[in-house]
Amino acid sequence: MILTYTVLGVLWLALIAYAALGGADFGGGIWDLLATGPLAERQRRLVGQALGPVWETNHVWLIFLIVGLFVAFPLAFSVLSTALFLPFTLALIGIVLRGSAFTFRAYAAQAVGTRKVWGRVFSSASTITPFLLGTCAAAVASGEIHVVGGSVQTLIWTGWTTPFALTIGAVALALCATLAAIYLTIEARAINDTELTEAFRLRAIVAGAITAVLGALGILLSPFEAPLLWNGMLAHAIPVVILTMLVGLGAAASLLRRRYRLARVLVVIETGCFFAAWGVSQLPYLIPPHVTVENSVSPAITLEEFLICVAAGMILLLPSLWFLFHVFKGRNPVPLIEEK
Amino acid sequence: MTDLLAARAQMGTSLAFHIIFSVLGVGLPLLLCVAEGFALRNKDAVLMALTRRWTKAFAVLFAIGAVSGTVISFELGLLWPTYTKYSGAIIGIPFALEGFAFFLEAIFLGLYLYGWNRLTPRVHWLCSFPVWISGAASAWFIVSANSWMNTPTGFEIHNGQVTNINPFQAMLNPSTPYETTHMILACYVVTGFAVAAVYAVAMLRGKRGEYYRRGLLLGMAMGAIAIPLQIFSGDLNARFLVDAQPAKLAAMEGVIHTERGAPLRIGGLVDPTTGEVKYALEIPNGLSILAKGDPNATIKGLDSMPRDDWPNVALVHPSFDGMVGSGFYMLFIGLVFWVVYFWRKRVVPENRVLLWGVVLTGPLSFLALELGWMVTELGRQPWVIYNFLRTKDAVTTAPGLNYSFLGFSALYVVLAVTLIILLLRLAREPLPKMEWSEVNQEQMSEAEEKGGEK
Ligand code: HDD
Ligand code: HEM
Ligand code: HEM
Repeated sequence: MILTYTVLGVLWLALIAYAALGGADFGGGIWDLLATGPLAERQRRLVGQALGPVWETNHVWLIFLIVGLFVAFPLAFSVLSTALFLPFTLALIGIVLRGSAFTFRAYAAQAVGTRKVWGRVFSSASTITPFLLGTCAAAVASGEIHVVGGSVQTLIWTGWTTPFALTIGAVALALCATLAAIYLTIEARAINDTELTEAFRLRAIVAGAITAVLGALGILLSPFEAPLLWNGMLAHAIPVVILTMLVGLGAAASLLRRRYRLARVLVVIETGCFFAAWGVSQLPYLIPPHVTVENSVSPAITLEEFLICVAAGMILLLPSLWFLFHVFKGRNPVPLIEEK
Repeated sequence: MTDLLAARAQMGTSLAFHIIFSVLGVGLPLLLCVAEGFALRNKDAVLMALTRRWTKAFAVLFAIGAVSGTVISFELGLLWPTYTKYSGAIIGIPFALEGFAFFLEAIFLGLYLYGWNRLTPRVHWLCSFPVWISGAASAWFIVSANSWMNTPTGFEIHNGQVTNINPFQAMLNPSTPYETTHMILACYVVTGFAVAAVYAVAMLRGKRGEYYRRGLLLGMAMGAIAIPLQIFSGDLNARFLVDAQPAKLAAMEGVIHTERGAPLRIGGLVDPTTGEVKYALEIPNGLSILAKGDPNATIKGLDSMPRDDWPNVALVHPSFDGMVGSGFYMLFIGLVFWVVYFWRKRVVPENRVLLWGVVLTGPLSFLALELGWMVTELGRQPWVIYNFLRTKDAVTTAPGLNYSFLGFSALYVVLAVTLIILLLRLAREPLPKMEWSEVNQEQMSEAEEKGGEK
């Protein structure tokens, strides 16, 4: 029991890490897509600079999540892959295009044409992918994935094309955009570009507001489209939902007061609370209404060995992550050598 | 196509695509580490210029490796949900450990690629160590999972239920030491000869100068050190299969009827219905000697197994011979190259025939790599988990697999074409003047600037 929920907690933290880090990288692509006007070129460049050193690392959280699910909740992995075959496949294509396009663009030095094309691919794929992942999450939450006698009973469009799912897809998109805009205010300030800082501050506020409105819409739809989630939330997640809202308000306030670092911390906490609220509302289901935490979990020995590996891995991973973010994203990032 | 065939085709294509980038992802960082180390120690401008060029190429290759690998990790579930359901608890652990290896690789690669101007030269060089170490580690972990599919251990089946699971034992299954060694060596073989081939092409096109010669030498050094070890380890693999996977061995060697004093058949077309191998070069008693060290030993043929359990001999046998043949070709070229080099008192050979020979090792090393995987994967058929789960029982029930296969194949083609164009363009960029300060001025700042469309 404790073992099961510890492993589930580890995976949920990985999900939050992916949302807060990988999500922001998608958000960067969204702002690349939306960049217009005289600032557009500088915006795109800032996005490119911000993503460059870290996006591959951030992407590994997704891998970790997938393989973690494979180890600890193999049934859930198998059911999800079958029921959500189409959106997962599409999201996968988006992930492939996003990553390769970003790299092609960055390294297509002189070839302006190539850069333009792959730049567009990068930004569109960054926009479509989180939307699709959002609809998948909603399909899970809505309780429409039925498993009878070990086989999945859904049609290819089931669950992820409902109004609720589309709303949650939009929430995911808006959340990514908000995260990215907030991080980018700090990146812009670090290169002393006040104009860009202000531009992203405004974008962060607008995107944050849209996220909040869409999130509220999602909650309003859930009694009809995701009743298990709704009941679960009423029963045991109200405090977390309220906390999410309060932290969100805090993030907005610190943006208004131009406390960008504080806003960054708060928006990460808000993302964490948001996912925690979802998770807690769903318990004891992993994929309602048939797959529960208990009936899909691997035997204890696998979980134990998994946790040993995670602990050992973290000993190497955490200092390395710290070093990476210290060099490129810290309060005083290591300066360019010429400036030293 | 049937769903099963489409799924197999998609899995095979994805892996065959991914493996190209993953071997370079394991091999190139080691080459970078060596080259940069010597460059820093001797303030060697040429080596530094090479290091910087390779770094750029590597950055692009790595990204494609990462996204194509992501496809595979999803495909395990998307295409083979039954396989995942049963195997996750048993063999998921190496996948999870591989995740950590990827983390470290990606983190230090980020530092390495974008840190030229932020880290001191020494720290920058040190960052290449975690990259190649975790690259090799990730290859070890993933191949141990593949080994498990070949010689599954670490669990029992009672009344259709999987019990007595022991994940560490599954990871350390009997096949693991053989397959992982052979695979990691393959990474260095391929990287070495691929790099050598690039500079051999340049020299054939009239480019001369230290830059090209050093590139050629470094590549040939890596390849020529790894290839004898590779052949030695391959022989161990084959001997191991005699008892562990007799059907695979029989298919590799084209043995249809059980024979005493079996000959080694090189090449030829296998006709599985008659059991004849036409047009093969036969070395009498060769197989019995190689496999069991006794010229009269008995080798089990496929006819000792149910027809349903035969792998596709007509594909496995030529794949195996292709791998072995390419291996010996590389060994030959490596030997000739280094003998000539030392004979002529350390002058890089510029003989056109030899250079052409080196060029050919590049594609052949990739061919051997792909064919080796064909042997392993096709030779395991019809099982996905040897003797436990048949491939046809593991495939997904989701519709539209044909489209999915076509879509991914098209995607790979687009990526491959773009990548080749980019790499060619990179190769054509003018070289900096070969002086220490100049080379270090050719900042990675283009990469630092990255982004933007103009
Ligand atoms: C550079 C590539 C390369 C070269 C030159 C060779 N191999 Fe290889 N071989 C591989 C690359 C490879 C591989 C792609 O890496 C495989 C697939 C699975 C594995 O672990 O290694 C493989 C598999 C593989 C297997 C099947 C293992 C299994 O399924 O358990 C055998 C028996 C051999 N090899 C034997 C040899 C021999 C006798 C060689 C002598 C010349 C040889 N290989 C050269
Ligand atoms: C270590 C990692 C690998 C794992 C875990 C793995 C796993 C699998 C699985 C689950 C399948 C589908 C089931 C089956 O057809 O048996 C498969 C098929 C296949 N794989 Fe691998 N594979 C690995 C490496 C590779 C590589 C590197 C190649 C490169 C060429 C490859 C080539 C193929 C092919 C061609 C098939 C289709 C074979 C067939 O179904 O007839 N595999 N593999
Ligand atoms: C079933 C088979 C396989 C799966 C599921 C798989 C999965 C993955 C994933 C998810 C990534 C991306 C990691 C990132 O984001 O950094 C990746 C990259 C990589 N894979 Fe695979 N992989 C498979 C087969 C192999 C094999 C057979 C090798 C053997 C050498 C290998 C070596 C690598 C390496 C070195 C990378 C790093 C990327 C690079 O250096 O280009 N993989 N793989």
